Amino acid sequence: MNKEQNEPHEQGNGFSIHSLQFSALLTVIGVIVLFSTAVITILIAPSYIDSSWTSHSSPYQAQMYEIEDPNIYISSASSHGLDLQYVRHLKQDFTLLAFKESEEMRLLAPPELEKYITKLDGKTLKLTSRLLLIREPQDHFKEIANQRRAELQKQNTALIKAEPGKVVEKINYQFMELYDPKKNELFALDPLGAIIQNWVDENYLILDDSVKQKYHSDKGVIYAINPREYRVKQVRFGDIVRWRYDPEGMPVKSLEDLQGPGLDFHSRKELIYYGEHIYAIEGCWYCHTDQTRTLIQDVVLNGSDSFPAPPSSPNEYIYQKITFPGTRRIGPDLSRVAVKRPSRDWHKSHFWSPKTASAGSIMPSFRHFFDNDPRGTGKSAMGIPNHEFEAIFQYMMTKGTRITPPTQAWWLGNDPVQTKEIIEGKVKIR
Amino acid sequence: MVTTTTTTNTSATTYDDSAAKLFLYPAILFLIIGMSFGVFIAFNAFIFPDYFAGEYIHFGRVRPVHVGTVTLLWLLSVDIGLMLYFVPRLCGVSLWGQKIALWAGGLWWFSLILGVNSFPWGTNFGWEYAELPTWISWIPIKVFFTIAWLLMVLVFFMTIARRKFENMYVSLWYSMGTLIWTTFTVFVGSFVINWVPEGISRVNVSWFYVHNLVGLIYTPMGLATAYYFLPKLANTPIYSHRLSMIGFWSIAFIYAWIGTHHMIHGPISQWMQTLSIVFSIWLFIPVWTVVYNLFATLQSDWAKYLQSAPIRFLMMGNIFYLITCVQGPLMALRNVNEITSKTDWVIGHSHISLYGTFTFFAISGLYYAIPSIVKKPLWSNVLADWHFALNLWGSILFLFSLWVGGFLQGLMWANWANGDSFAEFHANITRLSFVDTVALMRPWWIMRGIGGIIILLGNILFVVNLFNTIILKAPDKVQEPVAEAVRI
Repeated sequence: MNKEQNEPHEQGNGFSIHSLQFSALLTVIGVIVLFSTAVITILIAPSYIDSSWTSHSSPYQAQMYEIEDPNIYISSASSHGLDLQYVRHLKQDFTLLAFKESEEMRLLAPPELEKYITKLDGKTLKLTSRLLLIREPQDHFKEIANQRRAELQKQNTALIKAEPGKVVEKINYQFMELYDPKKNELFALDPLGAIIQNWVDENYLILDDSVKQKYHSDKGVIYAINPREYRVKQVRFGDIVRWRYDPEGMPVKSLEDLQGPGLDFHSRKELIYYGEHIYAIEGCWYCHTDQTRTLIQDVVLNGSDSFPAPPSSPNEYIYQKITFPGTRRIGPDLSRVAVKRPSRDWHKSHFWSPKTASAGSIMPSFRHFFDNDPRGTGKSAMGIPNHEFEAIFQYMMTKGTRITPPTQAWWLGNDPVQTKEIIEGKVKIR
Repeated sequence: MVTTTTTTNTSATTYDDSAAKLFLYPAILFLIIGMSFGVFIAFNAFIFPDYFAGEYIHFGRVRPVHVGTVTLLWLLSVDIGLMLYFVPRLCGVSLWGQKIALWAGGLWWFSLILGVNSFPWGTNFGWEYAELPTWISWIPIKVFFTIAWLLMVLVFFMTIARRKFENMYVSLWYSMGTLIWTTFTVFVGSFVINWVPEGISRVNVSWFYVHNLVGLIYTPMGLATAYYFLPKLANTPIYSHRLSMIGFWSIAFIYAWIGTHHMIHGPISQWMQTLSIVFSIWLFIPVWTVVYNLFATLQSDWAKYLQSAPIRFLMMGNIFYLITCVQGPLMALRNVNEITSKTDWVIGHSHISLYGTFTFFAISGLYYAIPSIVKKPLWSNVLADWHFALNLWGSILFLFSLWVGGFLQGLMWANWANGDSFAEFHANITRLSFVDTVALMRPWWIMRGIGGIIILLGNILFVVNLFNTIILKAPDKVQEPVAEAVRI
């Protein structure tokens, strides 16, 4: 059968490089030359030519992904996941903290910490990377607090009585004590649910001798406001041991405890990457695109009631391991979904039953993002969102919200691209 | 026109087709398995959305199984199988390393079957056409697949290097081209994509991979098949070797540049979009040379078109190829793209290229190769006629419903941009919301589903026909045409 193989040196049949005919060599070399020219020009060169492919769009975007996400921890394990807990990992010389008084909440502090408090009438936000906390007033601060609260409460009542025609709010004043816990790292409750970021880009002052983090010298910083230590207390439902937040409980000792099976916290960074993975394996990207194109129809589709969405730019995607620009819109584009649909409850009901939440939709339901209600006492048939839901939700909430700082957000009309002016013909693109 | 000189030894060489069989036979089965997945999602995702609901069966998890089965398990495998059939015959030598090819085939099916069918269990890699998982448990699927491919490259190149016929027919050029291109493309799309910077750099690599998969793998393999089997089937030499060379070199020059046209109007540098548009337009050159060459080959005797189903498949594939490649460059134009992009038009376009063109070419090749391999005539020519008729009408229904429906949806979206101010644009979208434009697609999706069923029926006939050809009849007088190299 293989006669040629037995006689390898028979003319024209033996394998040696010179037996490759000229045309065959030409094919191989020509193909390689043409192909590598294309590869160099369109695969290798662009990353060097276009800086927006690799650089972040704003200090806000960088800080959100690099500072906030790895240090915000989320868990739904408390009380069987009925309420979500957000905890911030605070580190000495790393996290910027602000202690800011509001109308109803006033702060007391020993004289050496007094300078860190931004008073009610303070024009400049005072920030520090020293690790300080607030707590219910203790020892002699307790008396001072009671005294001052009584005074303020009296003034407030007098004010309400003095002007019966004018509506004056009744305020329940609260006093807290600022103290130095003398620790290098701590976990603080984030009552806002970490959805609204504390961002300041004007009138702020970092009260440190030297700046130890490079992001502290950015134009604008993210900070944690009025942090309180996160403490948990164990509770029992029959045989099951659970936990919940309790200011009187035990403090969380270490990161391992927080991430351990008991408390089951995941950092938002982990959740976002896990959400990206879910987005890949569920095939969300076969029906949803993730790009607002430079077309009016797209900026309108993704826009708010009053403002068009700015078109996507390359640097929005630099923190994603997989990017899903997409080829087909069987469902709407998702590149601005965090602005269009910020509600966790909306996504909960939508993933549970898309056809109910959005009439006419052909999206499949994703009930494996939910667990059964273990106690079965809930009134709704809907399951309890598990960490897969949390992951895909956190992933979607990065879309459209991190391009510019909240103070310059496009949905406030501060779109640096001037999308609206361009599509209404008021600004000409050069 | 040009005939090779070394025809004397031909009759002496017999060819061992066991490696070709290893690729061809399973691939034929995967044609209808893959299409059944397609029909399933056409109904379960679009006509009766989410009727069978659940984690492992919803559209997002089944779609990649359909795509993976028809692109890798069917089309790529059958193309390799056909190359295993015609490359030794064009070289006049038996396949070098038959054993290596058999091992590669085993590895090939193992990694691909496992990889493609694992998608419902959440192994999708997340990049278009590169969904194969890197790992399933401890099994490195992608590495296995790449090794299998590299072994095939080795086998083909050694066979070509040891060839008896000095002149290389155009099918060999295309085969050699695709062996080099695919090696690079698979490597880039599966591995290198993880090493470039995150974000648009990866997107760019992904589109480069996606378009090269179609343009530098399926196109050259399909054209090599067409260029080999048309002269065989019609028993007439190819019209022009020079034209086929122009086609080959323009593909080599153009295809690698055009991946970015998937991102037109998107967040990718304008100069790259423009570059990809320019190169996309140039695609008219390789396409028209091929189309004209194939037409002109049959020009002398059009009666054969009526007599032979495989010739009908090949020529209809050629017409679909022309349509594909008129669509493609036009869809890359910014203003056309504004309407067609992200609509079902795109799905129609991908089906006309991978189904209407290259699957038709492969089917035509199978109709010639299988009887030749098993040395028996085709079991039923009537069944083959029905196969063609059902395929043609099913495809037309399928493709036109996607094009028309997609185009109309694109026009509805474009309608949001009517007006002069954002207030007017916003009023447009409140009158016709996104979800309404999806609901209005239903009649087109129903037509698509019916077209899909017709095509599937036709292909079941095909599989029955080939199965019976291989299994049923006793060996017959049918032999390989003797003067292998003379004819082409």
